[in-house]
Amino acid sequence: MIIKYLPHTADIRMAIESKTIKGLFATAVKGMGNILKEGYCDQRNVFSKSIRITTHSLDYTSLLIDFLSDVLSLGYIENSVYCKLEIEKLSKKTIVAKAFGFHVDQFDEEIKAVTHHEANILKNKRKKWETCIVFDI
Amino acid sequence: MRKVQKEHINKITDYLWEIPQSFRQDMKVPARILAFETLLDDIIEDRSLNQLVNVATLPGIKKASFVMPDVHEGYGFPIGGVAATSYPHGAISPGGIGYDINCGVRLLVSQIQIEDIKPQLENLSKELYKQIPSGMGKGGQIRLTPSDMEEVLVKGAEWAIENGYGIKEDLYNIESNGKLDSADPSLVSDMAKKRGANQLGTIGSGNHFVEVDFVEEIYDKHIAEVYGLKKNQVVVLIHTGSRGLGHQVATDHIRIIMSAMSKYNIKVPDRELACVPFDSREGQNYFKAMCAAANYAWCNREVISWEVRNAWENIFGNKGGALNVLYDVAHNIAKIETHTIENTDQMVIVHRKGATRAFGPKSKELPKKYNEVGQPIIIPGSMGTCSYVLAGTSKSHETAFGSCCHGAGRRLSRRAAKKKVNAPALKEQLREKGIYVEAGSFKGIAEEAPIAYKDVNMVVETVSNSGIAKKIAKLIPVAVIKG
Repeated sequence: MIIKYLPHTADIRMAIESKTIKGLFATAVKGMGNILKEGYCDQRNVFSKSIRITTHSLDYTSLLIDFLSDVLSLGYIENSVYCKLEIEKLSKKTIVAKAFGFHVDQFDEEIKAVTHHEANILKNKRKKWETCIVFDI
Repeated sequence: MRKVQKEHINKITDYLWEIPQSFRQDMKVPARILAFETLLDDIIEDRSLNQLVNVATLPGIKKASFVMPDVHEGYGFPIGGVAATSYPHGAISPGGIGYDINCGVRLLVSQIQIEDIKPQLENLSKELYKQIPSGMGKGGQIRLTPSDMEEVLVKGAEWAIENGYGIKEDLYNIESNGKLDSADPSLVSDMAKKRGANQLGTIGSGNHFVEVDFVEEIYDKHIAEVYGLKKNQVVVLIHTGSRGLGHQVATDHIRIIMSAMSKYNIKVPDRELACVPFDSREGQNYFKAMCAAANYAWCNREVISWEVRNAWENIFGNKGGALNVLYDVAHNIAKIETHTIENTDQMVIVHRKGATRAFGPKSKELPKKYNEVGQPIIIPGSMGTCSYVLAGTSKSHETAFGSCCHGAGRRLSRRAAKKKVNAPALKEQLREKGIYVEAGSFKGIAEEAPIAYKDVNMVVETVSNSGIAKKIAKLIPVAVIKG
C-alpha cells in the first residue's frame, strides 16, 4: 500500500498503489481519510463507526471515483471519517463494501469532490495496481 | 498528449494569444488566452493550457475556448475558463461550471469611513467571526426542513428575504435577481439536500472568506458615483458558494452524464469534461439541478449578509448605518445568453468556471441604475494585498462572451504555501499592517497567504488594458474572516 500526495496548484493530487485491485480501493479510502483528518487513519486501528456501501459504475476507474464520492458524502452527513475497508464483492462495475471509521467534530480539510480528472487505474511495470486521484478542495 | 509550449501560441495583440485549431486534430475552435506576456510565461508552467485545448473539443463549441489572466490548472476546464456552446443542441458540461456551483462574490457598501472605525476593527473582526460560521463542514444557525429546502432551491435569495434574513432591495442588485427560474428541486438528490440542510449562512473553507475593506483609490469618478463608492468608504466582501449541496449536485450529475455520453456518441479527452447535448434529458436534468444549486448559493450569500449586518449592528449600534448590496455575481455557472458571433445574434450556453460575467452598458439583464455604466465586476485579491471593483464593457461581449477574470489566481500549491509560510508570523505581520485575520486554523492562513497568489494588480491591468473591463475602485483589506 503506497499513498503519495503530489503537488497541485489548487487541489490535492494523490497517487496510490497496491498489490491487488481490492487493496487499491482500500488504499484510496485510507488516503482520503488522512486528508479529511490529517494522519488519523495512520494512527488508528479501532473504529467506532461502520457503514455498508454499494456502488455501481462504468469501469474500475469510474467505480473507484464514484465509490470514494459515496464514502465522502456519507461521511459528511454523519460527521465521520472512514479509514478501513472490508470488501464483500468487487467487479469492474460494482463494489459492495463495509467502511470503518470514527466520528469527528470537525474536519481538517473540506474536500468538495473526488474528481475523475487524471484517474486511470492500470497495472504498472512492477505489476501493481495504481492510479492518481485529484480531490477538489 | 503534447504539452502546450510558447512556440505553439500566436500573438494576436499584447493581451490576446491564440493556440490555433491546427494544434490538435480534435479541436473544433482555437483556444485563446487573455494575458500580458509576463503572465503567459507563468501560465505555461502548469497544465491549464492543455485543459483549455481540451475544452476546444467540446461538441457545439462556438468561436473559441477562452482563459482569463488569473487562469490556473483545474480538472476538465481550467479555472478561469469560458466556453460557449450552441443552444439548444450543443454540449453542457458540469466540468465547465465546477463542483462549487455559483461560487461567487458579493460586495456590501457601508455609509462610514475607515478613519471612523479604526479603533473598533479588531472587535469587528472577532464579532464577524462569531456571527458567521466558517470552517470545514461547519453547519450554521438555520436548519432547513424538507419543505424549506424546496423553497430555497426555487426562490434563491428571495427565500431569505421572506424569512427575515434579508432586505428586499438586495434582490435588485444580484445577478439574475438571485434566482434562476429553471430550477427544479426534484432533480436535486436527497443526499445533496441533506448536506445543505444546515449549511445556509456558512462560508466553508479553502479560499472562501468575508473581508472588510476600504476604498483606497477611485479610477472613474462617474461610475464610482453610480456604484455608490467613495474614497475611504468601508465595504464588505463576501466570497462563497453553494456548499455541500452544490458539490453533491455536481457529483451526482457528472456520474449520470458520464454514463450517458456513449448514447450520444460523445468522446472527451478528459473524463471531467463529461458532457451531453443541452437539450437531452440528462442535459436538461443537470441544468435544472444546477439552477437549483445556484439559487441555494444566492440564498447563502443573502443569509451571510444578514449575519454581517448583525455583527455590524452589534459593534456600531445605530451609528453603523446601512450595508447595501452593490452587486452579487457568480463565477461558477452556466447561463443561456445571446451573443454576436460571426455578425449574427446567437443563443449560446455560456460556461464560466472561475470567470465572472462582465456585461457592458445597455445589457438587458442589468439593474436599471447600472444600465448606462455597465455591470459591476468584483475581483477579490488575496488577504493582505487588494481587491478591485471593475465595470463591464461592450468589448467584453466582443472578446469572450461578456466575461472577465474572477480573482488573482493561485500560483503556489497549498502544500508549497504551507511549507513557505509561517502562519502565526504572517498573522502578526498583517496585524502590524492594520489587517486583522480571524481563521479556524493557521493552516488555512498559510494556504491562503498572499504569496500563494498571482499579482492581482497584473491580472486587473491585463483586463483593463485589453478593454474587457474598466477599473473603478481599489479596495484594501482591514479585517479577514476565513474558514
